[in-house]
Amino acid sequence: MSGPLAGLRVVELCDEPGQYAGKLLADLGADVVKVEPPGGSSARQVGPFVKGIPGPNRSLNFWYYNTNKRSAVLDLESADARAAFLALARGADILIEDREPGWMAERGLDRAGIGNPGLIFCSITPFGQDGPWSRYRSSDMVGLALGGPMMMNGYDHADAPGAPPIRGHGDQGYHTTCHYAVHGILAALLHRDATGEGQAIDCSMHEALSCTVEVGMPYWLYVQRDVIRQTGRHAAAHATERWLYRAKDGHDIIIFGVGRDNASWKQLKEWFQSEGFGAHFDEPRFDSPAARQPGRGSPEAGEIMRELERFIAAHDADYVYRGGQERGQAWGTVRAPEETVQDPHFHDRGFFVEVTGEDVDRPALMPGAPYIFSATPWELRRPAPRLGEHTDEVLAELAGRGGP
Amino acid sequence: MSTLPLAGVRVCDLTWIIAGPTATRVLADFGAEVIRVEHGQAVDAIRLGRPIVGDAPTLNNSGFFNYFNRNKKSMLLNTRHPMGGDVLRKLIAASDVVVENFSSRVMESWDLDYPQLREIRPDIIYCSVSGFGHSGRDRDFTTWGPTAQALSGLTIMSGLPGKPPAGWGYSYMDHTAGYSAAIAIMAALHHRNRTGEGQHIDMSQVEAGIVLTGPAVLDATVNGRPWRRAGMPPGNRAWEPRVAPHNTYACAGDDRWVAIAVMNDAEWQAMVRAMDDPEWALDPRFATNAGRLANQDELDERIETWTTEFTDYEVMELLQAAGVRAGVCQKASDRFERDPQLAARDWWHRLPHAELGESNYDGVVPKLSASPGVLRTASPLLGVHTHDVLRDVLGMNDDEIAEHEALGVLM
Repeated sequence: MSGPLAGLRVVELCDEPGQYAGKLLADLGADVVKVEPPGGSSARQVGPFVKGIPGPNRSLNFWYYNTNKRSAVLDLESADARAAFLALARGADILIEDREPGWMAERGLDRAGIGNPGLIFCSITPFGQDGPWSRYRSSDMVGLALGGPMMMNGYDHADAPGAPPIRGHGDQGYHTTCHYAVHGILAALLHRDATGEGQAIDCSMHEALSCTVEVGMPYWLYVQRDVIRQTGRHAAAHATERWLYRAKDGHDIIIFGVGRDNASWKQLKEWFQSEGFGAHFDEPRFDSPAARQPGRGSPEAGEIMRELERFIAAHDADYVYRGGQERGQAWGTVRAPEETVQDPHFHDRGFFVEVTGEDVDRPALMPGAPYIFSATPWELRRPAPRLGEHTDEVLAELAGRGGP
Repeated sequence: MSTLPLAGVRVCDLTWIIAGPTATRVLADFGAEVIRVEHGQAVDAIRLGRPIVGDAPTLNNSGFFNYFNRNKKSMLLNTRHPMGGDVLRKLIAASDVVVENFSSRVMESWDLDYPQLREIRPDIIYCSVSGFGHSGRDRDFTTWGPTAQALSGLTIMSGLPGKPPAGWGYSYMDHTAGYSAAIAIMAALHHRNRTGEGQHIDMSQVEAGIVLTGPAVLDATVNGRPWRRAGMPPGNRAWEPRVAPHNTYACAGDDRWVAIAVMNDAEWQAMVRAMDDPEWALDPRFATNAGRLANQDELDERIETWTTEFTDYEVMELLQAAGVRAGVCQKASDRFERDPQLAARDWWHRLPHAELGESNYDGVVPKLSASPGVLRTASPLLGVHTHDVLRDVLGMNDDEIAEHEALGVLM
């Protein structure tokens, strides 16, 4: 058993909104028992599915968000199963649930009903346990709408007149919420390390997202301006220059600054000129870093960007990306998930891990750890569990401990 | 008075820009003593970041900097001065955690890589956040948030089909790399509590982004189905699970939108009732999810004709009263001026600051019942705690401090 949270027992009663919190803890070594209703968590019905065919053990979404967990089916509408759940929670260090406010208490499964004073009881909900919207229903997109991220993402009028605010895909609202839930859980764990005391944690998606829009909030708090959406770059108080350019292979590249310092400008200039671009960059008016920076109306900056646009259009995106990076430019190709998995750099670091499951012939790659721990390595100990795979095992462990 | 959960944890904070300071914002909110080590000759560019209060940046009037650096201390230290290096080593010896988000060879060049940090403090927890991590063939490449978003696959997952990517209008990956670093650091602190052992946490901002695309990666590696295909990204329509209606709809007013997500037939029926049973909605083509998906263009058009008759908040309230998932696309002004939920949860706080005056701050997520995070101070003025840290943490006397000052170590 490795991982900095090895030895901790976690009970997870979560579907799509909260399951990533359980994964984060499980991947760091905790023993996470996912309690599911007889039909399985609704997360098992979220695609994509293996070969496009739905089934409780075929959701790739479920595979990803439930690594290193065990699955125990307990029908919490029955008294026996509730007793087993209580016994499980009494022996646990951490409980994570994402039911609507009041659901746990109505079934006697709240902190008072469990009666384990050391338990860290984390509730993840769209809006928090109280307040006028606490009964509102939500989803990843609805959360991203109300919390503010969507109004930051979108298009220049010229690219898509009248375009709506855009939601980034991949359940990013749930990710942010679960990151915050785990902050709370680990802070509570450190408090418990010192005092032995458990506590309740109330994690609101709405609050987590409200403080995850970078410059958006400060602009209102300090100068009472709402920022405007722009294509593929930061929302801003005033229109700014483009960052996205299309390369010869049809892929886009983000150009985030050009030759901010003289040393990297010289390298860039020589590169362009060796390829037949930017002959005029030798003129002294390009020598000043200030003249080269966009956003201040400098004609030189405009000329550089126009020439760079021609250069990019004549080359593949990864050629421009790597050539720019080798010359000190923090540029990046806009890659699709099927392309990130090909990049050998991440394989050098052992980042992608192999997973198997129902109806696949050979192991497939998926993202591994967001962090490399030198002493307590992240580890894929087991793939996501089949529905109820560990029910008997978990109940036998409870019997061994003298409950339920 | 409850105790702060990270009380007694000291962080030597070498971070700048946003990703690193986001990590230490989390630690500071929960009570860690976070000491920003700042160098006047290479100042954190965010100290000049807009919005600012006043006509010109002063290094202390950035609302942007203030947002990420509350609850922290600031000391000035010329780390290029030999005596500055000594002070830094003493501060590391007195710290539990060292965090930095420099490019990947800076600490090495300061003779402060992990083995060297360990010699200074054997149980140190050292977290490095760089673009590509401290190993691998491209470790010398660098990122800002938008670069990391592009390379990780996140940018292309946001946009309308047939258009360039909309991407993220903010550095989502600066926030998220910081959040992940805070998780790693607190998990390492727990491990140290149990075993006495510290460690190095090596984070790559791009990897922290790829982690957020797992199901799309698996769709490619298991099913051979690429993200880059016709109809993708699907705008605000659902990718998975495939349900309809699921979109944003214009409402009365300028640039006002509501997001509506109908996840099943029961929710659709509730929405039809909330719209007052219009005849078009009773069309059998819309009765099932499969039918609604097949006729999404017409469905979305019909719904938008309805939503434009109301304000965004009216649509949300009407639909939520019927149990339908709907939310206004709120701007920052909406959240601050109108949002009754944030107000009822006491989300906004006020703190004084010498140059920004008394202004508003958002709260701490999540809420802990016994040892909650607390807003204690606004962001520190540049170097305002230099003498306090030298005296109280490093035990220097006034003469030593004066000597360091005179020799240009504290600038």
